[in-house]
Amino acid sequence: MGNPSSGREWGRGEGLPPGRRAECRSPGRHGLAFQIAGFMAFLLAVPASAEIKSGSAFLSPEMRRQQDDETRNPAWFWVEQGEELFSRKPPNAAACVSCHADPKQSLRGAATHYPQVDAASGKLLNVEGRIEQCRTERQKLPAFGYETPEMLAMTAYVASLSRGLPVDVKTGGAAKPYYEAGKAFFERRQGQLNLSCQQCHDGLVGQKLRGDTISNGAGTGYPAYRLEWNDVGSLHRRLRACSLGVRATQFDYGSPEYLALELYLAGRAKGLPIETPGIRR
Amino acid sequence: MPFNARITMPAEARAGDIIEIRVLARHPMDRGGQSDGKGGIVPRKILNRLTATYAGEQVFRLDMNTGISANPFVSFTTRAVETGDIVFEWREDGGATYTRTSRLVVT
Amino acid sequence: MSSPISPRSGRPELPTRRAVVAGGAAAAAFAVLPARAQQGEPPQPLAELIARITEGAVPERGRIVLDIPQLVENGNSVDVRIRVESPMTEAEHVRWIHLIADKNPFPDMARFHLTPRAGRAEVATTLRLATSQTVTAVAALSDGSYVLADGNVVVTLSACIDGG
Repeated sequence: MGNPSSGREWGRGEGLPPGRRAECRSPGRHGLAFQIAGFMAFLLAVPASAEIKSGSAFLSPEMRRQQDDETRNPAWFWVEQGEELFSRKPPNAAACVSCHADPKQSLRGAATHYPQVDAASGKLLNVEGRIEQCRTERQKLPAFGYETPEMLAMTAYVASLSRGLPVDVKTGGAAKPYYEAGKAFFERRQGQLNLSCQQCHDGLVGQKLRGDTISNGAGTGYPAYRLEWNDVGSLHRRLRACSLGVRATQFDYGSPEYLALELYLAGRAKGLPIETPGIRR
Repeated sequence: MPFNARITMPAEARAGDIIEIRVLARHPMDRGGQSDGKGGIVPRKILNRLTATYAGEQVFRLDMNTGISANPFVSFTTRAVETGDIVFEWREDGGATYTRTSRLVVT
Repeated sequence: MSSPISPRSGRPELPTRRAVVAGGAAAAAFAVLPARAQQGEPPQPLAELIARITEGAVPERGRIVLDIPQLVENGNSVDVRIRVESPMTEAEHVRWIHLIADKNPFPDMARFHLTPRAGRAEVATTLRLATSQTVTAVAALSDGSYVLADGNVVVTLSACIDGG
């Protein structure tokens, strides 16, 4: 919110920047190519939304109620499991809570600042990366591994401690190259469908894609319980589903590509409240 | 995935009141039938029954088949009769059972 | 949301795609097989499914409400709530409520067993629906009769199915 992305400029009907024009197939004798070009022109003519909305804004009222109702939202089981892991002392290592005492206060708001650049290594870390770093470097324990039930529980718990607080990531300074890389990823056409994230998640927000309503691609509910999965999953799992959807390369969990994209998405979602644990379709 | 349950009901009720009990369980409710990648078939593993016992007798039973969702939600009612525990028991394919207890104070 | 028309109206019994594929393959290999064998086993008609649980009795409509969305965004978790008008006394109560989804691989989804101590005949759960179909609730009453309500549900798919 209030964070301009140049991506939205070319959604305002000014046409593609010169560098991108060549990628658009010109209408020729071939009917299909003509249709595709027409569709692309339609994409460009749609004005972009003025502000970024949470993913839950695109859910049915019933699903929004379910998300907010602790008696109905299964993702709270993962939060509870995370809380238990956080306070449990592993053999031969300190419990998380022995450093992060009173996490409800000490870690309140922590997740709103992620992804962030780690001062020591200069690397971009998301909440998963920070937890894994704590675990291997400070607790001297084997890494949980991305998308393991334990990591999902820990990230759901830590993010839930920031529930209701606005996303507040740094996109300048040391984070700038990562942010720019994420932005470039968002704007780049990819995959067999030759679509960029931007074409749908700026240009066609609120419209239907099969049974779904296209959102702004804000990750503020993740880790989230997705009906499609019958399970809680990370934002990177969701991004992998996006990549597959446009028949593009699926990057690894925690890959530099998705980390940069996560930062860019968080930058776009600045000011939106954290909703973890969310419910999504 | 560890089994877990979230039981939501009033802690107190007046004798004769009808209370709503909401039960959310953490369970994948594997409907089975998929290939296990080794030439076999993944067996069905669901919670096939939920019972609630209160004041000496079973007051509710739900028989479940694969048409019940993963992490199922169940709601039912009972009339407050006396102070005591309401015991919830889930039965899983294969015979495992899980129990939880909630106390109801009746005034 | 219960519909006054027959639950089967407008739903011709079509063989599944799998059955058609299998039937086609069978036809190619054994052209002499009778047509019925090539089509495979048709899904059990809803009336039969109901008759089986009511031991042949035909349930009446009314006194039961099935609350289910007409359109759901994902069949993996569909809210359903059933209410039966009943005083829930020893003399007059609902014995059980049975849920059927005739196009699910296993149409019998669940049965809620109630006693007079429920106070009210009102239950809810979350269903898994394989496809758009009619969901039917049949309640058995203590006087030996049955009541029925149904609702048509359109199941849409989310856009990006990632298969894991």
